[in-house]
Amino acid sequence: MVRLLAALALPIVVPAIITMVLWSLPGHPAEIICPPGICDGTEALAERWNLHKGPWHFFSTWMSNAVQGDFGKSWRVQQGFPVAELIFESLPATAMLVGLALVPLVVGGVLAAAGWIPKLLDPLWQALGLVPAVILALFLAAEIEITYGALSFGGWPGQLRLLLGALVLGVADNALSGALVGTRGVFEAEMRQRYVQIAVLRGESTLSNALPNVLPALIGQFRARALHLMSGAVVVEVVMGIPGIGELLFDGTLMQDFGVVLAATWAFSLLSALLLGTQAVSEIAVALWVRSSPGGVVQGGAS
Amino acid sequence: MRSRGTRMVWIVVALVFVFGLLALAAIAPDFLSTPDLDRIALSPWEAPPFGTDDRGIPLLQYAAQGASIVVAPALMSGMVVMLLSTIAGLVRCAGLTWIDGAIQVASELVGSLPRLVVILVVALILPSSWRTLTPIGLTWALLAAPGAMDEAASTAGRLGGERFVEALRAHGFSGVRIYLIHVVWLNLRGVIVRQGAEVTMHVVFLEIALSYLALRRNEPSFTHADSEFSWATLLYQGYTALLGSDLIHSLWLGLGLVAATAIMAQAVRLAARAR
Repeated sequence: MVRLLAALALPIVVPAIITMVLWSLPGHPAEIICPPGICDGTEALAERWNLHKGPWHFFSTWMSNAVQGDFGKSWRVQQGFPVAELIFESLPATAMLVGLALVPLVVGGVLAAAGWIPKLLDPLWQALGLVPAVILALFLAAEIEITYGALSFGGWPGQLRLLLGALVLGVADNALSGALVGTRGVFEAEMRQRYVQIAVLRGESTLSNALPNVLPALIGQFRARALHLMSGAVVVEVVMGIPGIGELLFDGTLMQDFGVVLAATWAFSLLSALLLGTQAVSEIAVALWVRSSPGGVVQGGAS
Repeated sequence: MRSRGTRMVWIVVALVFVFGLLALAAIAPDFLSTPDLDRIALSPWEAPPFGTDDRGIPLLQYAAQGASIVVAPALMSGMVVMLLSTIAGLVRCAGLTWIDGAIQVASELVGSLPRLVVILVVALILPSSWRTLTPIGLTWALLAAPGAMDEAASTAGRLGGERFVEALRAHGFSGVRIYLIHVVWLNLRGVIVRQGAEVTMHVVFLEIALSYLALRRNEPSFTHADSEFSWATLLYQGYTALLGSDLIHSLWLGLGLVAATAIMAQAVRLAARAR
């Protein structure tokens, strides 16, 4: 229930906090883009970026527009350009990057749980996971630029950047080792439970007995890994030159473009809320399934 | 005996790396020396100990300045996580269930956003005079804390929690001895120190990543002043070496410093393992 509430609150709370902090900083927010000592027309700019009527007006207008897909205009990254277009152009690259990076994690987790990846190799994955994403990305970016030169951003080299970026995300910062060790650990702990051993004696499948009980933990782990990948995507996108939301967010931060940062953060908060909501709904569904299934399992085992 | 011997080895390794890092930070100059065009891109054996860059400036100065940028904020962030984990473990043993619940809710809320996104938002809203690694490192520590606290509390729970404390009280031990020696030192130490070491390492890596990203964009970093140079500069020079310049020794030094940080964290973790 807490997760469901958090999922609903996240997309509202995140821009609210950023707006609050924006107004709690010394000086008027418009002075960030147009410091009074350096440039004239701060008031005109405040009106242009809808900052002139205070934080509540800014937040409520921004939220009502954002719900309709309008995030206003970029303050600095591409001044005057609609932020929505920047976000929608960047979204597919980030989705592809994170989606591809999840593949080895999910496959690795399944293979580790099934015992196909031996425990003996865990130190290898853990040692590999100690390498920071920025280092691994640096080498791979250099390799692509050496091989393809100035043409390395479009066509096949561009796709290669995406694939190698996904590889970096999936391996570096303990992503893969966490998935292997974490998934295997959850299954091993469950397999030691008495009900699973009794199920084996009854001739039932261990997986069908254990899976409903480990599913909430696995879904929780999956969400944590997806968040970890989204976090790492910022580093990988900038170093590897992949035009995603992470790169947009970083550029917005460097150039103090609140319009872009607010929208990019909101996009991340929506994705996080989606993951959180999925976990909450899955947990409720699993709980209902577990409650209803013992009768069926006993009958199946007895017959 | 064998385990004690191994632990001693890790303690020595951890101390060597920690003091090495502190010494490097202590010798950091306020500003880099003047470029010397007669000593451009010298290798480590031509200009010991690490060689020079493409302006003839010794790489030792970059390494030292990079260490001075990360040492205090990274250690402080590690300490914050260790302190909060200790509190969470003690709370579980003291049976204060409402705080336990609050930690779980905080963990859920704090953990629901990608960490680097939060870090970038913090970096954005920081006034320029506050643009150092300390607030960013502390934010990272606060984001990592709920997970660390949860693990410490779970370890204390497996220990027996309240029942463990009651059993020791029945032996006549004082509260200070029970909580500080039996709970924290003998049982939670491994988890707490590992979490602290990991966060310390992550803050160093975070600084390198943020500075490297800013270098890629030719913009000032939000982790240090413009007059200072992070370890990311060594890696960036090394990146240009991969593309054909003469600074491959800069890359090796940068990678060496990253590896030293990882080894230091691992050594501290292994040195503090519970028996």
